[in-house]
Amino acid sequence: MKAWRDLGINYIQYSNIAARVVREALRIELRADAAKRNISIVKFTPWVNGKPVPRKKVERDSES
Amino acid sequence: MMMQRTQLLLPLAMEATMLAQQQRGMATLKMISIRLKSVKNIQKITQSMKMVSAAKYARAERDLKAARPYGIGAQQFFEKTEIQADEKAEPKKLLIAVTSDRGLCGAVHTGVARLIRGELAQDEANTKVFCVGDKSRAILSRLYGKNILMVANEVGRLPPTFLDASKIANEVLQTGYDYTEGKIVYNRFKSVVSYQCSTLPIFSGSTVEKSEKLAVYDSLDSDVVKSYLEFSLASLIFYTMKEGACSEQSSRMTAMDNASKNAGEMIDKLTLTFNRTRQAVITRELIEIISGAAALT
Repeated sequence: MKAWRDLGINYIQYSNIAARVVREALRIELRADAAKRNISIVKFTPWVNGKPVPRKKVERDSES
Repeated sequence: MMMQRTQLLLPLAMEATMLAQQQRGMATLKMISIRLKSVKNIQKITQSMKMVSAAKYARAERDLKAARPYGIGAQQFFEKTEIQADEKAEPKKLLIAVTSDRGLCGAVHTGVARLIRGELAQDEANTKVFCVGDKSRAILSRLYGKNILMVANEVGRLPPTFLDASKIANEVLQTGYDYTEGKIVYNRFKSVVSYQCSTLPIFSGSTVEKSEKLAVYDSLDSDVVKSYLEFSLASLIFYTMKEGACSEQSSRMTAMDNASKNAGEMIDKLTLTFNRTRQAVITRELIEIISGAAALT
């Protein structure tokens, strides 16, 4: 069970991956509805000393 | 029509009266009608915005009902274990402001920002803010820009999903800011016409493990606690986002309803002045014609 934590994945990511797999395994008529729950467009900008700091591209790639 | 006729009859007199009118500070007919038209357009816009937010609100409320167990379940754990922040250690607070990107919805975002400003005024040095939604950032960045840890935007265009919430929770955990205690500041939805700005406590793993009452739960090792806390943070953020979205839509509905009502009042007043001015113009023209005719005979 702890194998995923050694890979640097926390429980949130772990359960989201599991949820995505379950959604993809649904029957076709249910899958379209479930796919809507798989969308997230939230963007993040870290702030340092009162100024937004654009995240480095390399860092973002490794995250996604 | 009226204007044309008078211009044919008494071009000079007309110019003189126009000038007199403007000098007295009275609005001309044309100015009033332009204004009337624009207010009518505004009313149309606010009315349709109200309809849109009413539909969105209905959906948000349905979603909220489904999301409530997430929040209640996650809160139960903190209540049962009676976790208290370690007072000896230096407090490091984290505030998560749950708002959205969109405005025109009354005081929803201002309420959250005000509560956070109050917290920051107490202990500015040891508090950081995680802004969810552009609105809280816009309000807080001027005075407390240095306390902002991270901003999440593109929130509020679509109803929040659990994936959104877990992304945010993920960022909270990965910022590298070791908070000892935290609060999620959000708007709790009470009814269509009311919401309340409230807070939910969150704690870090080390604080939880120090709690004495943790023994009420059987066979907990630190790994389980860690996993659970991560998940509960995501659930709490999901729940608060749903509450916030629902309050926002209901508040926007009320705000747009009020705006349409106010526009309606303005339209009534403007129509009245418009008609009065038109009457006055007609009367004056008649007087001018009659007195002009009388002078000739």
